[in-house]
Amino acid sequence: MSQQATQQSVYSSNLSVIWNEVVKNIKTLFAYPTIIVFWAIFPIFWFIPFILQGEAFVGGLESSSFAEITGTGEYIPFIVIGAILSSYVNTLLYGMGENIRKEAYQGTLDYVLAAPCNKAYVLIGKAVSESLSSTIFAISQLTISVLLFGMNITLGVMVPVSFIIILLILGLYGMSLLMAAFSLMYKQSYDLSESIGYIFYIFAPVRYPVESLPIWAQIIGKFIPLTYALIIVRSLMLLGTDLSAVYLDVITLLIIDIVLLLAGLYLFNKIEKKTRKSGIISHH
Amino acid sequence: MDKRKRKHRLREVNCPTGLNWSNLKAELKAVWESYIKDWKIEFAYPVSFIRQLISPIVYLLPFMLYGIALVGGRYSPNLEQIVGTGDVVTFTFTGYMLMGFIGTAVWAMGFSIRRERWFGTLESIYVTPSSRLGQVLGMALHSTVHQMLGTIIQFIFIYVTFGIGLKIEGTLPALAIFALMMLALYGFGIVISALGLILREGWVVSDVLYSIMMILSPVAYPLVVLPTIAQKASALFPTAPALIGIRTFLMENYHAEAFGNVFLHLLLLGTAWILFGVLVFRLTDGYVRKRGMLKKF
Amino acid sequence: MVIDKESEEFSIETIDLTKKFAKKRHRGIFGFLRKNKQENKHTEVTVALDKLNLSIRPGELFGLLGPNGSGKTTTIKCLSTILIPDEGRAIVNGFDTQKETAMVRASLGMVVGGERTLYWKLTARDNLAYFASLYKMPRKKAKRRIEELLETFHLSDRADERLEDYSTGMRQKVAIARALLHDPPILLLDEPTLGLDPGFARQIRSQIRELSEKQGKTVLLTTHYMSEADQLCDRVAFINNGRIVAVDTPNRLKARVKEKEIVEIAVYSPPADIERQIRLLLADAEVVKLIRGNEDEGSPSRIKIIGGTAEEHIGTVIDTLRQNNVRIGSLNVGFPTLEDVFIKLTGAKLTEGET
Repeated sequence: MSQQATQQSVYSSNLSVIWNEVVKNIKTLFAYPTIIVFWAIFPIFWFIPFILQGEAFVGGLESSSFAEITGTGEYIPFIVIGAILSSYVNTLLYGMGENIRKEAYQGTLDYVLAAPCNKAYVLIGKAVSESLSSTIFAISQLTISVLLFGMNITLGVMVPVSFIIILLILGLYGMSLLMAAFSLMYKQSYDLSESIGYIFYIFAPVRYPVESLPIWAQIIGKFIPLTYALIIVRSLMLLGTDLSAVYLDVITLLIIDIVLLLAGLYLFNKIEKKTRKSGIISHH
Repeated sequence: MDKRKRKHRLREVNCPTGLNWSNLKAELKAVWESYIKDWKIEFAYPVSFIRQLISPIVYLLPFMLYGIALVGGRYSPNLEQIVGTGDVVTFTFTGYMLMGFIGTAVWAMGFSIRRERWFGTLESIYVTPSSRLGQVLGMALHSTVHQMLGTIIQFIFIYVTFGIGLKIEGTLPALAIFALMMLALYGFGIVISALGLILREGWVVSDVLYSIMMILSPVAYPLVVLPTIAQKASALFPTAPALIGIRTFLMENYHAEAFGNVFLHLLLLGTAWILFGVLVFRLTDGYVRKRGMLKKF
Repeated sequence: MVIDKESEEFSIETIDLTKKFAKKRHRGIFGFLRKNKQENKHTEVTVALDKLNLSIRPGELFGLLGPNGSGKTTTIKCLSTILIPDEGRAIVNGFDTQKETAMVRASLGMVVGGERTLYWKLTARDNLAYFASLYKMPRKKAKRRIEELLETFHLSDRADERLEDYSTGMRQKVAIARALLHDPPILLLDEPTLGLDPGFARQIRSQIRELSEKQGKTVLLTTHYMSEADQLCDRVAFINNGRIVAVDTPNRLKARVKEKEIVEIAVYSPPADIERQIRLLLADAEVVKLIRGNEDEGSPSRIKIIGGTAEEHIGTVIDTLRQNNVRIGSLNVGFPTLEDVFIKLTGAKLTEGET
């Protein structure tokens, strides 16, 4: 076979790995209709306390203090956007780790790791399926939020918002590759996912403007892709700006994505080889 | 040895049963050993142990920082108008401090049975003469102590970072209210653990119930903010009266939202939930054993 | 081994024990679109135990033999109170399993599921201490008993290491030690040597024999290893489709199949219809059965011929095999095993759940 043909063959087989992984995960998801219904609706219950807290503290639907910092006093849409975008973090960080843990528990992880394909493509397939399901759930949650809380959303803004979500997902892919590498080495990878989730939850402006954190905390937040995604999406949806007004944040997000993806791919391949050599693989 | 010469054992079993001191002692010992076992397993995962100790801080901080961002400081005139004090930090902390114990009922107890299934030990536990409820209670005790440790760390962190104004003299009655609340939560937790036996995706039910309790409890906001029907529904759960009672005793100027006699309310709730929980557990136990569902995940 | 046949009391007795399971068919999220109404039928009922009657005398080592899905584990679960039967009764050590559950549980030691039923993050000692409390043993007695068992099973040196660092065989030993903690008069052992290497399996069998012979415990052992039942059991019951097919001592069961009527041929890559071809050749044979082996693991398939004149017509049989390009590994004309008896009685093989 010519070199070009071989390269094309490898390329198409890698795509096939991704595709089949997606199909498998989506089929597995459909075996649990309760879970689909849960994720489509239920995360809204998690931010209702924040909305009620807002009402109790400010006595209405707008906060002047919020407006001073963020440019908008409407705290409800602020919370809703934070909740929906952070759900991508949940599914991509926890969901990926959970997916791998399930493979280990079912006994299929050994076979996946012993397969000749590059395992990074298996992980990409997992990440793609998690993103797909997250997006479906996000659309459902957003629709319910619009109906329940009277949020104004124009269809036009969803195009740049979708672009930013894709950038966020890419950054999270990089992180999940890093964590998958870690989970191959250490049995307590679940705690790593949770700990990273904590960092996102506190230092990214999920529930509050980033300016309300002390300076040192804001600096940590600047390394988190979710921070930029939230700032940009809120700017687009709540302040009515376009991408050109926040281009610096977009570029920063892109740079973080590239760094995380490259680091993730490199470390995953390196650690995977190392664990196969040392025999630590899949001792869960 | 010729077996005919050996005395065969029939009915020769030494095991306390029924309502007597000997059996109670044995059951309490089983509860204690279950508690110790859970700690030993927990210490086998040190990273997880440490992470779970700091998680109360992680879940409290967003409420705290969000509240401060909303009002531009720690004082809310609107809150003061409703409950007599506008200190958002102390208000949020006292609410969230108890929230973790709802997790004891819903997650720790609720997942106790499922966790044993996951380990593969559920059937081994089922064939012993000790009460299954005792084992659930042992796990509940572990979770309660664990949560207490986390709450102490949480308190120290918030005190150092934000400062909290609490009345020391209110500590004892607050602890009494806390104990009564835990009694009712244990009953509620027994119901959830029973559901964990029959529902394949029991965590969904746990999450739904946790969220409902969170909304119906005045953790981050006074009860009056809720619609009337939700306020009435909150009387069925121990957290609402407990939070109001504890804040009354611990927070300066806090005037109780109308909830009657908190101690009596909690005592009645506790009794009702425990009895209901035991009933549901027994019925579910029989149902699961009839259907052969113990091994199913 | 001599059992007290004069005793009218049974250690374990089941009377018309019946258990049915309703199994929901998972149609999937789009199942309603299927046109085939039969596929849409939601529930099917499986009869796991069908009026099972069993009587085991005190001190007996009793084997329950049957293929997967025959009802062995369901029987164990009903006796141990994990499962409530739909009809009938079970009496264990004189206690009704449905009315006196605590006393039944106190009378039993169980090894079901083996190593996966222990806490791997705890040490052997911790595991045993925990379960001792669940058996309501006083603390001092429990401590003494644990040390005794650790010594018996040669686990003392590693008693304070976590079970996750043990081998499968060692974990199985801990599982058996747990069953003996409270010194119960009755043991239920569900496939106790499954998955163990031959060395460990032999050790476990020897321990089981000792428990019955020297300590006088009643042991109900389920297995699909017929040689294990043959070696160990005072009496054996065959169970198939939830019913007892035969109960007797191993020798008397084997006597039902006469000597020198068994021809066993080890073969490689037999075609699917070889059984039919040989049956046509040997019309007077009672049983002609192809038992598929795992040739990749070096275990050939076997053709078993029971009864008739197989021995006389062996040449024709071999010719038929050669014509079908079947490689012959070995040929035996020998004594019947319990498996032969089982196949003769039921037409099924012990190693699979299909007839």
